[in-house]
Amino acid sequence: MPDIDWRAAVRAAFGGRTPDDDVVEELAQHAATAYEAARAEGVEPDDALADVARQIDRWAADPVVASRRPRRPPAVAPPPASAPPFASTMQDAKYALRLMRHQPAHTVVVAATMALGIAATTLLGSVAYGVLMKPLPWADAPRLVRLYETRQGSTKRFRPMMTNGTYRAWREGARTLDALAAWDVRQVALTDRPGTGRITVSDVTPSLFPMLAAGPALGHGFAPGDEEPGRPPIAILSYGLWQQQFGGRNDAIGARIRLDTTTYTVVGVMPASFAFPDRETRAWLPFYIEPPTTPGRGGMSISMFQALGRVRPGATPAQAAAEGTALGRAATPSVPMAKVVATAVFGSDGPVDVTVVPLLEALTSDVRPALLILLAAVLLLLTVATANVASLQLARATARRRELALRSALGAGRGRLVRQTLVESLVLGLVAGAAGLVLAALMHRLLPLLLPTNFPRLDDIAFDWRVLGFALLVSIAAGLGCGLLPALHIARTDIAPALGEDALAPVGGGLRARTARARAAILAAQMAMACVLLIGAVLLVRSFVDLMGAELGYDPSNVLTARVILTDGEYSPPQRLAVLDNILQRLSATPGVTHVAYSNSLPFVGGEALSSFPLKRRDGSTIQVQAGVQGVSSDYFAAIGQRVVEGRGFVPDDASRDVPVAIVNREFSRKYLGGQALGWTLPGASKHGDSGPERPIVGVVDDTVRRSVTDTPQPEIYGTTRRSGGEGAGQVADSDINLVVRTSRNPRELVPVLRNVVQSAAPAAPLESVMTMDDRVAGSLANPRLYAVVLATFAGFALVIAAVGLFGVLSYTVTLRRREIGVRSALGATGRDIVLLVARQSLAIVAAGIVAGLLASAWATRLLGTLLYGVTSHDALSFLAVAGMLFAAAVIATIVPARRAARVEPAKVLRG
Amino acid sequence: MATTSLERELKRGSAEILILALLEERQRHGYEIGRLIADRSRGAINFHVASLYPTLYRLEDRRLIEGRWVEKAGQRRRRYYRLTREGRAVLARQRGIWDSFFIALDRVARIRHA
Repeated sequence: MPDIDWRAAVRAAFGGRTPDDDVVEELAQHAATAYEAARAEGVEPDDALADVARQIDRWAADPVVASRRPRRPPAVAPPPASAPPFASTMQDAKYALRLMRHQPAHTVVVAATMALGIAATTLLGSVAYGVLMKPLPWADAPRLVRLYETRQGSTKRFRPMMTNGTYRAWREGARTLDALAAWDVRQVALTDRPGTGRITVSDVTPSLFPMLAAGPALGHGFAPGDEEPGRPPIAILSYGLWQQQFGGRNDAIGARIRLDTTTYTVVGVMPASFAFPDRETRAWLPFYIEPPTTPGRGGMSISMFQALGRVRPGATPAQAAAEGTALGRAATPSVPMAKVVATAVFGSDGPVDVTVVPLLEALTSDVRPALLILLAAVLLLLTVATANVASLQLARATARRRELALRSALGAGRGRLVRQTLVESLVLGLVAGAAGLVLAALMHRLLPLLLPTNFPRLDDIAFDWRVLGFALLVSIAAGLGCGLLPALHIARTDIAPALGEDALAPVGGGLRARTARARAAILAAQMAMACVLLIGAVLLVRSFVDLMGAELGYDPSNVLTARVILTDGEYSPPQRLAVLDNILQRLSATPGVTHVAYSNSLPFVGGEALSSFPLKRRDGSTIQVQAGVQGVSSDYFAAIGQRVVEGRGFVPDDASRDVPVAIVNREFSRKYLGGQALGWTLPGASKHGDSGPERPIVGVVDDTVRRSVTDTPQPEIYGTTRRSGGEGAGQVADSDINLVVRTSRNPRELVPVLRNVVQSAAPAAPLESVMTMDDRVAGSLANPRLYAVVLATFAGFALVIAAVGLFGVLSYTVTLRRREIGVRSALGATGRDIVLLVARQSLAIVAAGIVAGLLASAWATRLLGTLLYGVTSHDALSFLAVAGMLFAAAVIATIVPARRAARVEPAKVLRG
Repeated sequence: MATTSLERELKRGSAEILILALLEERQRHGYEIGRLIADRSRGAINFHVASLYPTLYRLEDRRLIEGRWVEKAGQRRRRYYRLTREGRAVLARQRGIWDSFFIALDRVARIRHA
């Protein structure tokens, strides 16, 4: 090795402009070291020399070096100082925010996806908490239980209630309950305050308020005995009614208020927060539970109402149920009438069965399964959204390898980089969480519009600190969730190779890299989750469509219905008939009206009357029947669109005949008369033990659903009002009459006419519940529709998010693989080959996702069980359709990146 | 190209900050600094060893670093550079800008590859 005088070489390079000796010395040292290093690496002497010479030339060319003036600090030994702690987490957070500001598009997409997921989760969480979990506002709420009575073999025509016999027996002999209370809700007119319409009141036993530990804000509550017959009528007002009718004045106490035909003295006002059984109730009246039989008086009376109990500490609902059952059975009156009454009400005179259900569970049992399913669905959606962010972050983490490697070169330890990535994701999660919270708050205000009015505990769904805390937790979980994979990725990344490789163009990127595999797994999981949500949604939507198309037994389209109230005080039964005839005449003369009728009850309206009587059959045997009894005017079947399948419907003449006629439905005919009802005769309707004239059956009509479209048909008997002869002739006994108007045009257009006609025929009579029959049917389907819409929305979002995620990752991969694609093109691959290359990767992911999703769905859809109608939880068509939908979405998400890949110009890429 | 001057500025800025950061840990001599930059970034930042000394001298003139000769037994005499108090302050301040620089670098990279 020649001995090179580096100082001379440096001086020579500077020519005339001799730099400072210090500089010459330093550069010479550098040159010597560089040369030795090159030689040590095996570089040929000449090449090494040439390299270093070029180096020296460049130094010499720089004026800064040439004009360097000396400064000579004293020579000291180098202290190996350790680096100070690099930065705090706060700095990481600031950095993250700055990063987000600098990449607005990426940030917006990522944050919006997460915000949506967090908003939906927060909203549903607040609903689920408020409805299912929030403690009821009553004292000892966990000990409050609903008491239901039924009979073995019941046909369950009514929602379970409690009867007076069992209630009274239990009240006297309760050992498992320390309190019992009963209530019944009804509508009354504020008779002395015209124009106020009707209000909802609750008859409550005096024991109710003490059980709930609720006292009036003004005046006093009911005392035991206040409900006994013969006591002066008293009432407690709701805060709202007090404000409305008495302007919040104290002199309301002792004031009189007339409800229907009775005048009540106001004794108390409940606080504004008090609502029982719900906000609809405006006043409470003492409720007397009469005994089923009275000594010295024949017959029996049965009343049905809602009942509440409070189990003693230590007693269980099951023990209470056993006690109630035993007491109820012992109390069943032995009079013959008891069997008839039980059959009329329960469809069976079997032994009493009492069930006891915790109040919260009873209130929410209708919606609990659906809410839990939707909650699970929204968590799935959030997971999809988070996974999407995770895969985007992961992709970016790869793109940022060089940055991270540089930071690492600057002394940032791996742990710090991991921490920084997690902090970044956390900041993202919190930003998304804040946005999600705002979104959730907005959606929360729309809840009353979205949720059916009969949804339980609507008032308890609050947007409070619990919701805030929940949203915060969800945001943190989502943030950490989406940061975890990128962080792990960084933790495993070897920094030096990352700096060495051209991270923007790895050859053979495909699925070989570990991160690429992780991304593919995330995508497949997203697809699988979207698949589960979609299948659930498709099943619910199909159920809802089937429910809408279910056979009702009548034609609800173009039918306007309304209830007119002809109260006992103002209208005698014959007067009612006259008023109704007048209304019917005037309405039928209205253009656009094809049929008009009235009835004492309607499907989806209630007011069902039940009767039970012994029926002699064709074979000579006798059967005790239970049937609904509906009194209708002659054109009723035509007006409601109920088909007469045998015999005839009612005709106006039926009203003036001496002999009443009856029409039964198919179920009555099938169940009791072997399908041959026509021409047979029903025994006369009995009243106070006297039989009326027998009623020949002149027609059989279709079965109808009455409370829910999923009801099974029940036996029904239809009768018509009569003007002459026999008992009850010329009378309409009920005060609430339902009008049914069939129209040839949009029934809503006839609402003003209807109001006018009723107004002029019965000026004081309230007209309520003016609705088309279609709306009534739709209203009964509000919950299934809500569930279907919500799940479909979630599923839609999940699908879009998964597709966007797939699109994003494919686009990104194409960018990464530009060089590989360029090489392939240069080697003769056609555009089609390149498209296939990308599509293959995409479809492998999607296929794996769909298969996993279908398998998961096969398990998960069983949970939908009770919510499905007309479709099984393993409906093959739905599964196939969803697989197709996902496939289509995947194809769409693949097309653009694939085509872009095909347009990669090899020359351009390879030169770059 | 419009990005050229921007890139140049960025590169110069990055070289200075890179050197300050390298000296934060302990004092180093010129060759070592050059090696570290070249090895660790392998051209990720197009920082040529040619501009190392001008940069070092500029930093020294601005009193952000100071160099001094150190002799150790059995080794060449070397000029070691270490961070001054002002250098530390500038480094701390620049870290903020540094973060932005990476963001900007990402963008430049994207513009170039678009």
